[in-house]
Parts: sequence; structure tokens; C-alpha cells
Amino acid sequence: MRVAGETVGARGTAVLAAAAIAGIVLAVHGWSARHNGETPGLGPAAAGPTAPASRSAASQGPPAHASPAGTGSDAPTPKPGPRLSAQSYASYSFRVWPGPVGSAAKAAGTGLAITVRRDASGIMVTAGVVGQPPQPARFYPTGTAVYVVEASMGDDSGNSDYNLGDDGLIVTDSQGRILQ
Amino acid sequence: MSRSTRTTAVPERGGLADRAATIAAGWAPTMARLLLGLTLAWFGYHELMTPRLWTGYVPGVSATSDFAIVLVLAHGWLLLVLAVAIVAGIGLRLAAAVAALLLVQIVLDLAVTGGLTDLTLRDVGVLGLAVCLIGETRQRAVLSS
Repeated sequence: MRVAGETVGARGTAVLAAAAIAGIVLAVHGWSARHNGETPGLGPAAAGPTAPASRSAASQGPPAHASPAGTGSDAPTPKPGPRLSAQSYASYSFRVWPGPVGSAAKAAGTGLAITVRRDASGIMVTAGVVGQPPQPARFYPTGTAVYVVEASMGDDSGNSDYNLGDDGLIVTDSQGRILQ
Repeated sequence: MSRSTRTTAVPERGGLADRAATIAAGWAPTMARLLLGLTLAWFGYHELMTPRLWTGYVPGVSATSDFAIVLVLAHGWLLLVLAVAIVAGIGLRLAAAVAALLLVQIVLDLAVTGGLTDLTLRDVGVLGLAVCLIGETRQRAVLSS
């Protein structure tokens, strides 16, 4: 068979057909799970880092993954988990609150919109992706620090993060334990 | 798999450097093919598996719309099929040409939205790889018809 000057034989056609079918199967999976990746791991309401979570599969439990979206009032109170410093992704967790915020933390926060508001009883954290609606804020009564997890700075450029799959947000308490 | 019978013109001077040059001349196009295919497959796979992460880069469509997801899935599917075609050497020049067109669109979109950033220039390099393969006829390890 000739297609635009290229000859494609029976075996080639079969291989391409198999690839096309595999692609359709993956697309069906992607469509059915299309809401799973919304503002991935961002928003303290979904504070678990995504790629770091997968990287830490061999370490001690899932990191900082909080409950589904909810406001500070209706979401369950975050409980302290393992120490951030003991996690495999600690080396690429960058503190963005409180300041001062270093250049690496600024770079890690590229493409993300994070606001932290402190009141007498704790901190209220809102996070999202620049240009997209923010996630609902979440309240951390014992939260004292906010970190951005950025597994790879190579996908950040200018004011855009071209792959949010490796970003996440972590809130820790005064002892460095991840609130989840 | 079959091997191209076209002769690679390399001066016969002997020595390790010349031998390496001979090997490189013979296999470089194949390596280019495999690496470009790997790149396309990686992006295609991830666009198909987690389309929501990529909707922000669909021009002119709301990132939160289902239509954007459909476009990402279609893009990912095309990338995956192109990757297989390029890796296996099936309709290679046509597949490379289509990949080059896709990359031109990506580069232009990145340049318009973000300027000439490091990522934009990185994709320019990948585009160059695709363009080179459009005219490449010496290939080893291709799927025979």
C-alpha cells in the first residue's frame, strides 16, 4: 500500500493498527479518569504531591495526601504524618511559606498560585495553577510551613510549568511532620 | 527487520576514529529515529493517560472543558501512532513529516504564549530531528513490508 509516496506493507499496516488500537484503549482510560488530574496535587485540599508520591512508593507510606476538596470548615482536620525530612522527595521540596523565599523555591513555584493566610488558630492555604480556578482553601490548625514539591525544574520556564504532574504542595507542623 | 542496501560513503583511512565514523554514519539515522520515537511515545502516553494535565496547552480552548480533553487525547493518540511508525520505520518519511508539522505547531504555540524560552528551544531541537528524518533514506533495523 502506498501512502503519500511511502510504501507500507501488510506487516507495517498491522503494527500501525495495533498501535492505533492500543492508543484508543489508553484514550478510553484517559477519558474515564479525566477528572483525576485536575490541578494535580495542588491546592491544599489535594495536597499530595503526585510524582513524588509515586517516587516514594518504596518509602514510608503516601506523602501528605489530604482529603478531597473541601473548605477549611468542612474538610477533616489534618493530622500529622511522617516527617518531611524523612521522605525521599525531601530534597526537592522547597519552602514557600513563611519567607524568605529562596530562588529555588520561587522557581519551584513557577506556574502555581499559592496563598497562605495566618490567623490566630492556624493557617489557611489556597493553591492552584496560574490561569485556572483555585482549589478551595484548606485550614491547617497546626500548620507552620508550606512547601512546594517540584521533582523537575526542567519543565518550568518563564511563568509556566509545562508539566504539573510532578508538582505538589505540602504543609508541615512545627516539628516538620507532614499534615495529611 | 531488514537493512538498507545503500552504501555509506566513508573514506577508508583505517584507524579507530574512522571505524567509529563508519559505525556512526550507519547507525546515527537509526538512533535518531529511535530517540525521536521515544520522545513522541512518552508524550503521547502521558497525554492519553492524564489528559487533564495537558489541557492548559490547547490553544483557544478552555482548559477545563471536556473538548480540550478530547483534543489532548486525539493529540496523544496521534503521537503514539507516529512514535510506533517512526521507531519501526513504517512510512518513515511521511511519519516524520507529520511529526515535524506537529512540532512546528507546538513550537509556535510555546513561542507565542511563553516567548523564546528554554523549553521552546528544546522543542526546536526535537523539530530538527524530525526534519532530518524526513529526508533520510539510510535506515537500519526497520520493519520490512
